[in-house]
Amino acid sequence: MAKSFDVIVVGAGPAGSLAALKLARAGKNVCLLERGRRPGEKNMFGGLVHYTPVLSELIPDFTERAPLERHVYKKTLAFLTEDSAVSLTFASGAFDKPPFNGFTCFRPAFDGWLAAEAERAGALLLNNCTAEKLIIKDGQVSGVTVKGREGELHANIVIAADGVLSRLGRQAGLRDGLKPAATGLGIKLLLGLPEATINERFGLARDQGADISLVGATGGMRGGAFIYTNRETVSVGLVVHLDALAASGRPPYEVLDGFLDHPAVRHLVKGATPLEYSAHLIPEGGYKAIPRLYGGGLMLAGDAAGLCYTNGINLEGINLAMTSGVLAAETAIEALEAGDYGARFLSRYRKKLAKSFVIKDMKTFKHAAGMMHRENIFEKYPRLLANIMEKLYRVDGRPRTKLLNLIRREALKEVGLKGIAADGIKIGRSLL
Amino acid sequence: MNIEALTQLTQFEVDERAHIVVNADVCRTCPHRACVAACPANCYTWDEATQLLSVVYETCLECGTCDCVCDQGALDWGYPRGGYGVRYRLT
Repeated sequence: MAKSFDVIVVGAGPAGSLAALKLARAGKNVCLLERGRRPGEKNMFGGLVHYTPVLSELIPDFTERAPLERHVYKKTLAFLTEDSAVSLTFASGAFDKPPFNGFTCFRPAFDGWLAAEAERAGALLLNNCTAEKLIIKDGQVSGVTVKGREGELHANIVIAADGVLSRLGRQAGLRDGLKPAATGLGIKLLLGLPEATINERFGLARDQGADISLVGATGGMRGGAFIYTNRETVSVGLVVHLDALAASGRPPYEVLDGFLDHPAVRHLVKGATPLEYSAHLIPEGGYKAIPRLYGGGLMLAGDAAGLCYTNGINLEGINLAMTSGVLAAETAIEALEAGDYGARFLSRYRKKLAKSFVIKDMKTFKHAAGMMHRENIFEKYPRLLANIMEKLYRVDGRPRTKLLNLIRREALKEVGLKGIAADGIKIGRSLL
Repeated sequence: MNIEALTQLTQFEVDERAHIVVNADVCRTCPHRACVAACPANCYTWDEATQLLSVVYETCLECGTCDCVCDQGALDWGYPRGGYGVRYRLT
């Protein structure tokens, strides 16, 4: 095994496959390495692919071709306490017609399809290949070795789309290991239910889907839970910060068990058949944690580049990954045409990302990663909201208080004046 | 559901070569052994009687949580060889 390519893309996830597709369409000799027996079998996410311009540009009819489950019609943000739920649901006709805002899907199916599109365009997909080491020549990356196999693969440029752990990015010295406080662990259980039951329980029709994010469902740990509807399955899971998880000493699947037994959740998943259990890490350091994105002969894309963010309302990663893959491929095409693979030339990649929504959005919400470390958000505010709602609706013969007074009294009781001020500043800087 | 039932839902192609090796000497003096509770597949076990930390790599979901929470340098963690390890079918 010794071969040469224009570009080696490591990792046939959304970033890697779209990079390979773009390069192959430009007539470049591109090799796409995947460590699974087939693309997608190592990958999981909560469940939502948002509308992504680069995907629609490269595959205009992707909504007909891609293996998608349901389009998201209903978005719910819910706050849970032990025995109550306060939620806000947005269901809109605007999300119920093309261009759809997002689709639920499965990664083995979606990633497999996307890699096949790259193959069809002429990329060489090599499954069963775990990239082990970067080959460095004259201070520049010039290929990779594959674990457990003799020989080397050579290329002018390597695009490392090798996921959140990015062993290659670390080897190249572009990034450090993950820090527990800036990393989320996502675990998920896929539950089978008849289509009609899902439609009935979630109030959906046809291909309509629901996306529910829940705060306060993670046993006091910083994190959140999610529920996504697929056609005949429901994805349920949670994401917790690794430092909070480690400090709690609680196994994450126990927390998930508790969540599934919450009165607001129990009836949604009642009688469902457990089908698959999965886990994955998420880069949650935000803008400030973005590593160096390129070096001589090397670019990082997708989770490997830490391109992912949450601000409590938006949770985005796969669209950022796909966009970064295409921009890395564009840069590689320009570099191949110029015959220059040095770090200086490849710095164009960083500039392209900075001009795109990828880094712009991450920058806009650069304070959100800090906000997500306010412990109060995950336990005290859900309880505060529930207390206010209960008092608003409770009829017990006692004189009522006007709304503002009620909120002030409950907030002072739950978080105190100092807490409100400190949290208010953090939340305000992040979102307002 | 308990964790044994959960990991039985997931499919694995088990390699005879372990992709995780623990340094039991380091683990013996670890102040927290956070890997034991944090691993979402319950791969790590601490035996109080023998003072040994052991790992079952066969049901590893390859998420990297253990490597991230281990601040003692006790883990030699890498991805399995290509084609081996966890194989998600649906997810």
